[in-house]
Amino acid sequence: MPVVKRDTQRLDVLAILVVFIFVALVSRLGYLQVVQGKYYERLADGNRIKLIPVMAPRGIFYDRNGVPLVSNRPGFTVTLVPISGPIAPEVITKLAGILGMDPADIQNKVKQHAGSFEPIRVKTDIGPDLVTKIEERKAELPGVVIEIQPIRNYMNNELAAHIFGYVGEINDAELEKRKKDGYKLGDIIGKFGLEKVYDREIRGQDGGGQVEVDVTGRPVQVLGKKEPLPGNNLVLTIDYRIQRAAEQAIDEQLTYLQTKTEYINAKSAAAVVMNPKTGEILAMASRPVFNPNLFNGGISAKDWRMLNENPFHPMDNKAISGEYPPGSTFKIITGAAALELGKVTPEEKILDTGKHWIIPKGNAMGEALGWINFREALSKSDNVYFYEMGNRLGIDNLEKYARAFGLGAFTGINLPGESDGLVANRRYKERVYGEDWYLSETFDAAIGQGFQLATPLQMVVVMSQIANGGHRYKPYLVSKITSPTGETLKTFGPEETGQVKISPANLTLIREALREVTLEGGTAAYVFGDFPLAIAGKTGTAENPHGDDHGWFVAYGPYDDPRIAVAIIVEQGGFGASSAVPIAKKIFEAAFNINQPPAENAKLYKPKTAI
Amino acid sequence: MLSRRLLKKLDFMLITVTLLLIATSLVIIGSATHINNPSEDRYWYVERQGLFALANFLLIFVMLHFDYKALSKYANILYGINLFMLLAVMFVGTSALGAQRWIQIGPISLQPSEFSKIIMIICLAHMLDKRTGRLNTIKDVLPIFIYVGVPFLLVLKQPDLGTSLVFMAILFGMLFVAGINMRLLMGIFAAGIAFMPIFWHFLKDYQKMRLLVFINPNVDPLGSGYHIIQSKIAIGSGLLFGKGLFGGTQSQLNFLPENHTDFIFAVIGEELGFVGASLVLMLYLILLYRGIKIAGAARDNFGTLLAAGIVSMLAFHVLVNVGMTAGIMPVTGIPLPLMSYGVSALTTNLVSLGILLNIYMRRQKILF
Repeated sequence: MPVVKRDTQRLDVLAILVVFIFVALVSRLGYLQVVQGKYYERLADGNRIKLIPVMAPRGIFYDRNGVPLVSNRPGFTVTLVPISGPIAPEVITKLAGILGMDPADIQNKVKQHAGSFEPIRVKTDIGPDLVTKIEERKAELPGVVIEIQPIRNYMNNELAAHIFGYVGEINDAELEKRKKDGYKLGDIIGKFGLEKVYDREIRGQDGGGQVEVDVTGRPVQVLGKKEPLPGNNLVLTIDYRIQRAAEQAIDEQLTYLQTKTEYINAKSAAAVVMNPKTGEILAMASRPVFNPNLFNGGISAKDWRMLNENPFHPMDNKAISGEYPPGSTFKIITGAAALELGKVTPEEKILDTGKHWIIPKGNAMGEALGWINFREALSKSDNVYFYEMGNRLGIDNLEKYARAFGLGAFTGINLPGESDGLVANRRYKERVYGEDWYLSETFDAAIGQGFQLATPLQMVVVMSQIANGGHRYKPYLVSKITSPTGETLKTFGPEETGQVKISPANLTLIREALREVTLEGGTAAYVFGDFPLAIAGKTGTAENPHGDDHGWFVAYGPYDDPRIAVAIIVEQGGFGASSAVPIAKKIFEAAFNINQPPAENAKLYKPKTAI
Repeated sequence: MLSRRLLKKLDFMLITVTLLLIATSLVIIGSATHINNPSEDRYWYVERQGLFALANFLLIFVMLHFDYKALSKYANILYGINLFMLLAVMFVGTSALGAQRWIQIGPISLQPSEFSKIIMIICLAHMLDKRTGRLNTIKDVLPIFIYVGVPFLLVLKQPDLGTSLVFMAILFGMLFVAGINMRLLMGIFAAGIAFMPIFWHFLKDYQKMRLLVFINPNVDPLGSGYHIIQSKIAIGSGLLFGKGLFGGTQSQLNFLPENHTDFIFAVIGEELGFVGASLVLMLYLILLYRGIKIAGAARDNFGTLLAAGIVSMLAFHVLVNVGMTAGIMPVTGIPLPLMSYGVSALTTNLVSLGILLNIYMRRQKILF
């Protein structure tokens, strides 16, 4: 075997290297354990290192023109940091006294957090007076710490409350469901509205620090800090000006109806404004309303009782969850079905003697319009004519067209709590009442009464389909998600979910008839008489077995180039023409800058996505 | 059976140090895990690690019967097996902590990248054996880099940054002992540094984070920075003599994660203090020193290279692991040899030491 000459010199170098590594490591140990040992001992002693979470600010909501509507503001929060064993009961009693809380409530929170080292949030957003009081008595309150935390700020209080929703501390059921997504006890979570739907996108990422705290739990030194990551922003399709105008108009109209007319129970209403060419919701309002700021840091028992016991349900977004008989607004659908299926010609005249000849049902006020054709019947909302259309169509065709227009199904808007309404049909009656279908029920269905139920949102979609030629767009509220630095992360656009086929000639006829509604002789002429903008619309008055009739108005404008469609309901407001139509007028005024105060005139309204 | 003569030539110092390290390991693993375990299984980790140590002693004893020279013959087959295992991990492996590193065989999960270290040492020793003294140009070393590069990339892909760095340490340690031209070696290092930004680009986000955290632990105090801060507190608070076995508040109260695997040295530092931790390091120093002696005493170049590779591997492990717990090296998930819990690593390390024994035992030509 040949003896290979080996380079032992290099092995020596290797040996020196190994000794060097040893010396380096031992030196480091000496530094940590001997030189700095006392420092680290102090840190380790009694677990004085705490992870203090720093809450991330939630994303900001902007209207379509960049006006901020929901943001955050700093607020003081009282937390308990169980640093050296559990918080003493007398501390809790004292703290409860200062904060005006029930000590049992605080005890409960402490119990919920048992076994966790995380700080316990006792009360969010306390005033400066309480901050001073607690700071003055901090020696008596070991473990009580005041932190600054972002508080959700709904800048216009009630404005668009049902769209935005509100936030609150995560509850057990939500925690169970979302634990795997990293949600923790004490997290703030969206409970309703867009806050709920987009919670994941807008919540951001909490930061925190490893903080050295003293025996009372107060931070002494920050060892490491991670800044919280603000949540992503939502750019909404809402137009702040239209939204505000719609809400003001509703409030004024409800006050007017309650005080100046016999409709003293007109306390609930809803309005939806949509771009008929895209499905963008420009405004959506519901009354009565709540102030989402009240929910920040836990709503008080008194406020919650007031909201809960209000018989008009302020927490419901009636624009999407309220189900009402569509009344005469449904005649648009009955009419379209009759024309499309050739059950009537535009020219054919039918005699209205005040009552239908098969079943003696007539017009609301008992009036008789004589010989009338389609155009007159729709613009004057004649019941007898449409009973006859129902008679000719039959309930199955009515059902088919109602569904083709999107009734009886969820529109798919990105808000929680939508209702799907009800389309009158044989199967429903069979299933619920176990009875056969009667002709009189077809009559009721043809004029939007009886079993028919629709939400204002569904009706604005129906009107949009007339305006845009039959395309059904999914209504949506968010056009963009942007990062805190303003980059666009995601954009949303129109989404067509269905189509109703109506021939151009029939469509033109229906549109002309709806246009005449706001012209002299039409049902809405009284309000829109000399309006500078051409509006097409349809009033409705829905019978309400529990009180006064509900007033409806659905409309779009401008007539030649529809950019805005609205649906409005005033519960127990009486006739649509006198309750809902005035609200629509103010919405159109705001949208098209008509009769606005001079300051507002400066900012001309131009829908960004108008085609 | 082995002849009495061969047995007499065993490196008893190496054996003693190894046994001392294993014994320390079992005690410390017990200390690090007994709190976390429900009473019945509280010593599960210790028993398992001990059992595997015993099994490995048996394996080493059997292996001592065969001349290590045989490994050279099987180098190419081993290389193939290695690639097969690493590919298998990619397709049938199970993942944990964000990396796909394990293959489940019955009750045992194997970590092929552990075994691939010793396989790479054998293969490289075989390859460099013939090239020793003739490593002067790029052309001479390029085939070697390609040879190591394939398994290196497979391990990096898992992703197991730590093990791939161990590959590099082994490669350079062995090239150095194989007499690579020093200017060439410096050139390769310079090129490596120049290509660092490109390498950075291929790292996973969490790996980048760990390196950033190493430079500044405050970047991510709740994530990877947490380990470093807590580990330093554990070691530092151990002071001169430590808090005593089972007495470390940091390790016992779960402030320190992974305390029986990658961060076991922090437990040693906290519970045994500066004196105990330095003694443990001293054991490693003796172990490595014996390894280098064995490299020098080997009867052939293949033996020298094998031993050099094993020393490089172990030295790198000790440096990076202890450095990491003491906050002077990035967190890369490299275990402490013979000390961290983990049966794949234990097997690799003990088999490596068995090869060292084998080389030393046959250090002189045997007369027939």
